[in-house]
Amino acid sequence: MINSVLRFGLIFILLILLQVLLFNNIQFSGYVNPYVYIMFILLLPIEIPSWLLLLLSFGTGLIIDFFSGSIGMHTSATVLAGFVRPYVLRIVSPRDGYESGSDPSMLIYGFRWFFSYTLLIVLVHHTALFYLEVFRFADFFRTMLRVLLSSLFSITFILLIEFYRRGK
Amino acid sequence: MRNLLNFLARYNNLIIFLFLEGIAFYLLSTRNNYHNTRLVNSVRIMTHGIEKKINSTKSYLSLHQINANLAAENVALKNSIAKLVRRESSLFFSVNDSIYKQQYLHTSAEVIENSINRQRNFFTINKGENQGIKVDMAVITANSVAGKIVGCSKNYSVAMSLLNLDFKLSARIKSNGYFGSLSWDGRDYHYAILSEIPQHVLVNVGDTIETTGYSAIFPEGEIVGTVSDYEKFGGDFYKITILLMTDFKKLHFVDVIGNMKKTEQLQLEKLFQ
Repeated sequence: MINSVLRFGLIFILLILLQVLLFNNIQFSGYVNPYVYIMFILLLPIEIPSWLLLLLSFGTGLIIDFFSGSIGMHTSATVLAGFVRPYVLRIVSPRDGYESGSDPSMLIYGFRWFFSYTLLIVLVHHTALFYLEVFRFADFFRTMLRVLLSSLFSITFILLIEFYRRGK
Repeated sequence: MRNLLNFLARYNNLIIFLFLEGIAFYLLSTRNNYHNTRLVNSVRIMTHGIEKKINSTKSYLSLHQINANLAAENVALKNSIAKLVRRESSLFFSVNDSIYKQQYLHTSAEVIENSINRQRNFFTINKGENQGIKVDMAVITANSVAGKIVGCSKNYSVAMSLLNLDFKLSARIKSNGYFGSLSWDGRDYHYAILSEIPQHVLVNVGDTIETTGYSAIFPEGEIVGTVSDYEKFGGDFYKITILLMTDFKKLHFVDVIGNMKKTEQLQLEKLFQ
């Protein structure tokens, strides 16, 4: 128990630092803004109680908001991602169900499972985030392009990090 | 009662979710510029340490560019000194009492946090109330428009970048003086849109666009950029795409300009509204 709290605490700090120090500073153009901190929500244990998941999502979003000066935006998008996670897990569940007490990792459930799981949650998160940022439906398709391009990069980075974790 | 408890137990996720989203949306709804920047300002004090580190790394990497800019600015200043010196050393000259003439006060500052990839971009500079910065001062970099101050703490200020959907600027075509409203459309950080220029006006690609000074925030004649494209928009007006002169990705040293006669101008204008 203590062990896993420590482990997730470490993952949390690393992802926040990665996001704030590296990815927030890429500023490649308005179209490519990877948000990899959402990976923290992805990696939490499968059987985590959903109230805890929601609270953790809230905290994660709030901290990212503090660092990017956009109070409320990341928070609401991340809480939404935390809310849909159990449903996404149900949709993508492997044929023989989940092993009890396991983490949603590529090592256990394979690349295809992890990819579709990541894809769905990142899409939900980024869609909410970018539409909240613009806060109007003018330029609907341009915002959609931003969502898709940023999601592409976020997913790529998340998969790379997951591959690295797997390698260890 | 038991029904109620059952209901709560069954939908507790949904309730927590709605509660947390409620808080988030409440925070989001105070995104009204001034409230938002005030909140951000107080929060940013906590994250300043990290932002400073990031910035010092970045500025180290761009030292070469900064040196070149400073050298160019030095040359310009030396030239203007040279002009003054010649005037004073001539045999006859009139004493020019400048106390009542100075209208704009410049303060230089360094940008310590900046973004270009959002729809509402802000940047933070390392001077604040203690250094005489106030809300609604203009921010320029090397004679081209960068933004305006929207919030100040003791030693830091947050400025709304020109790259912000809420930023509006009164600008005119230098060659013929027709003015319109300039804003950013959220697409590309190199370009902004100048609207409300009537169609009978002659517009050419490459025309210089400068500020008007009508708003009492920006001094007159600060360069914004050049016309890169124009098209007819609606019945009467042009929609002119402006290539911005400021490179917001390299924003580092800026000048903050305070208008010392702003209160006077605004008070006078108020009488006739």
